[in-house]
Amino acid sequence: MTAPPLGRVVATELKPSTPHQFHFWTARESPIGIGAIVRVQEAGRTVYGVVTDGFAYSDLVTPMHAVLGADGDPVAAGDEPTARAEIRLFTVAVLRQMPEEPLQPVPLGPVWLADDADVLLALRMDSYTGGERASGVPVGLYAAGGLESPVYLDCDFLLGPEAAHLNITGVSGLATKTSAVEFLLASIFQTFPRHKGSVAALCFNVKGPDLCFLDQPSALSDEDHRLYQRLGLRAEPFADVHYYAPLRPDGVNLNTLRTNEALAGNTEPLIWGLREVLDYAEVVLNRDDIDAKADAFIDFLAERVVGREYQDDMLRGRPFQVQSFADLEEFFRAIFDFMEVLGKGGEVWKTHHLATIRKVRNRLSNISTRSKGLVTDDGAANDLPWGSFADRGVYVVDVAGLDPLAQDLVFARVVSKLREHLERRDLGVEHVVVFVDELNKYAPGDGPETYVRKMLLDLSERGRYLGLVLFSAQQFRSQVQRRVVGNAGTAVYGRMDADELATPGYATLSPATKIKLATLPKGELMVRHPHFTQPIFVKFPRPPVLGGREGIERYPPSGDMPFAAAVARRLRSLDRRVSAEAVFEAIDGRREDDVRRALSATRRERPTDPLPYFVACLGRRVAGEVVLPWRGIPAVRRGEDGYGA
Amino acid sequence: MRLAHLADPHLGVRQYHRQTPSGINQREADVARAFRLAVDGVIAERPDAVVIAGDLFHSVRPTNSAIVFAFKQFQRLREALPEAPMVLVAGNHDTPRSAETGSILRLFEELGVDVAVDEARRLEYPALGLSVLAVPHTALMAAERPSLRPEGGARHRVLVLHGEIEGVLPTQRHTVEYGGALVGLRELGMEEWSYVALGHYHVQHEVAANTWYSGSLEYVGTNLWGELADEREQGIRGKGWLLADLDRRTVTRESVPASRPIIDLEPVRGEGLAADALDDLIEERLRAIPGGVVDRIVRLRVYDVPRHVARELDHAAIRAHKSEALHFNLDIRRPEIHRAVGVGAPGRRQTLPELVRDFLAHRPLPAELDRDAFVRLGDELMDAVERDVAGT
Repeated sequence: MTAPPLGRVVATELKPSTPHQFHFWTARESPIGIGAIVRVQEAGRTVYGVVTDGFAYSDLVTPMHAVLGADGDPVAAGDEPTARAEIRLFTVAVLRQMPEEPLQPVPLGPVWLADDADVLLALRMDSYTGGERASGVPVGLYAAGGLESPVYLDCDFLLGPEAAHLNITGVSGLATKTSAVEFLLASIFQTFPRHKGSVAALCFNVKGPDLCFLDQPSALSDEDHRLYQRLGLRAEPFADVHYYAPLRPDGVNLNTLRTNEALAGNTEPLIWGLREVLDYAEVVLNRDDIDAKADAFIDFLAERVVGREYQDDMLRGRPFQVQSFADLEEFFRAIFDFMEVLGKGGEVWKTHHLATIRKVRNRLSNISTRSKGLVTDDGAANDLPWGSFADRGVYVVDVAGLDPLAQDLVFARVVSKLREHLERRDLGVEHVVVFVDELNKYAPGDGPETYVRKMLLDLSERGRYLGLVLFSAQQFRSQVQRRVVGNAGTAVYGRMDADELATPGYATLSPATKIKLATLPKGELMVRHPHFTQPIFVKFPRPPVLGGREGIERYPPSGDMPFAAAVARRLRSLDRRVSAEAVFEAIDGRREDDVRRALSATRRERPTDPLPYFVACLGRRVAGEVVLPWRGIPAVRRGEDGYGA
Repeated sequence: MRLAHLADPHLGVRQYHRQTPSGINQREADVARAFRLAVDGVIAERPDAVVIAGDLFHSVRPTNSAIVFAFKQFQRLREALPEAPMVLVAGNHDTPRSAETGSILRLFEELGVDVAVDEARRLEYPALGLSVLAVPHTALMAAERPSLRPEGGARHRVLVLHGEIEGVLPTQRHTVEYGGALVGLRELGMEEWSYVALGHYHVQHEVAANTWYSGSLEYVGTNLWGELADEREQGIRGKGWLLADLDRRTVTRESVPASRPIIDLEPVRGEGLAADALDDLIEERLRAIPGGVVDRIVRLRVYDVPRHVARELDHAAIRAHKSEALHFNLDIRRPEIHRAVGVGAPGRRQTLPELVRDFLAHRPLPAELDRDAFVRLGDELMDAVERDVAGT
């Protein structure tokens, strides 16, 4: 309040002050810029606003007057006897008026640059950052005129139940999307109040090594450390991170870039069996291809056959126990054999046409072929820890190396399972943040309806009631399903593409704001939040975790290893004491399928001493003993054998 | 290369109380007879190898007579097939619970029988191009199971195992004995073996073209009626052993004639019948057995017989049948009681006369009483009492 004002509100007939907008003039040297928050104080009314546009002009009537004044010589233009009067005029969008009633046009009064306390009031952060039940989550620092103030998001509006979801837009490669989410997650994990319950994050790593090193610290600059300090946060990586990646088709190497041995401890394979896949069959089966008849047969399989005993004496004497794709294939084989025996007329089995059965069989067996590594053939699954998610735990599912079909399957199943568990309140945590990048790909605004898009839409519309929160990111917000981004209570924008800014979705932004967005430097964002009546520019420090590119340099992937070495690696990830030589000896001469099965059983069981358990699963070797032909023995005396003969 | 596959002789088993003239339990003698016939059959077929897939004896400590008998039968086999490999694995019945007990099966090693009691053995017979992995019950119950995979380059690879293959046997009648080691189909790796000789399930059963339970040689299980039902269901007639031709990939069933018929008679429905009517029906069923019940094992189920009716049956006649048969199981079952449990709205409470009428309509009555008249009489009496109370 002691600082002198920087400007004064002006209102003319052509540019009047309104309750939502006003203009003020200021000196040429003033530090005001687009995005600056200002305060007007006059006659018992305080108005806060954010600068959205700026103008500069002089007393010239027309440009012709300037040309004539300089005799048409640009060099002489500076030699006028008197300096021309020049005005700096800024347009401000009102953030808040105090008192809020009656709502009146902004008074003509002095304008100050907002300080920390003003920013708190201007952005209505006073309602959720103070007191015992504060719920503010730092999102970055608002900076203008040499002042820096932390900006907080209200976690009730970020993680529910009031509003929820966050959407980030920005061009690739400028540390906007992934870095912002990493920083924000770190901020949430450190500041999410205990009285609001527990929170975990589930991130889908959809490309390269982006999210592969969330448990590794990054090298931060002094400036970054200063920003962390100003925001009241610790610059440290996530303490509890679990990685899940499918296996490669060989069944032992992981299909991820996080294969450096130093990181193997918390990287687990993600393996699903037939049951897990069949529940989400509609995701992986092409809807155009699968008609109602095929649907009916898939339902028959899911309801009557898979996971239970199915007896059909016509097919074979003993019941079918279909637990895996291999069992399912056996079941199909039995149907086809039976139909073949019937010969002519054997075209319908239990009201299902043979062609439909063949079609379903082909599609389902395709899944296990195309998604080999994710989908196991022998039925032993290794899944996320449903029911025991940990507070402040990060679960990363690396689907970057999967084909699109398998990615869809992973998205659909993981999110559906999260929803199921949150509905039953037995996930282990009360809130889960799901981070999905590349929304342009998974929830595009146009194109055919897909299961994943429906699922993301459902998540964005209903998730907040359950504590299921979607943090999504994309390059072009305008090309994402409108309801998915529309439901995001908080929107964050990094540097934007000019073409994208020209789309109707950005019409509410002033030209100056758009220019600022198009030229936004690294580490700066524009934030929309339900408490902020106008978007606010903030800067944030580099995330406290290792970025994908640096991570790959520091922890280069070990590449696909030979079968035996990969098995040894997997066992060593359970217990560092396991020696590779002992593993090589144990699996020497064994069938790879048997080794995979034993490995899978060991991983599921997680025994204290994994190697003996693994060897036991493999089965003890029985050494051969050569038996020489018996040359007969002397006959015993004939006679009664004791039982009457 | 022909292989004789026997399993579950259960020598020494004792059932029922009938004895042979020489004082041996009749069923024990029946079981011994079945084994002797099987050995006769094997000798007649002259296979290249013989495997016995467990439970040679019914108990860990069989009777001396059973031991002597078994020894003599193996002796006969060895004499007849002097060079044929004979492999014997211990089943759940003849496996000692503690190592110090020792196993009687080792006795047969003296006759050139290769015995697997505690641990799996991989027996190589180079002259025959045969490799046999013999897996006894104990090995499958151990924390570290043997790997059930063939090894080496033998032409014929045979697995002999005593246990329950998971998910392939009927479960509804509990005919698979409790206590067998469970083995998964994948663990078994059937496709890698020339032949898998299984023991433990007493009904001859084809798991796959090369994987068989040969079944027991007599009805020795605790649920012989269930065994019979399983056999009927699977279209199998009687007991026997198997002769597998490993070159031709064929399996032939060799039957062992039963010592005596085991007859499960068509059940009688006793609902609403008086005791003498039921006696007549029981007699009728028993008379219909060709040759009668003498020395046979017979079961007759009689359903829906209230206790008071069962008490009034002709028990002297029943005892007579029981003494004739080796075993006559008259299985009388009481009616199933369906309790009507009120749900939903409370409904109307019955009046006292209604309550009495309902009771009389359902209480058990001697068959000679006419229920309608009985209920009518009850109504009249109640009516009289009510009038009397009301003073009318």
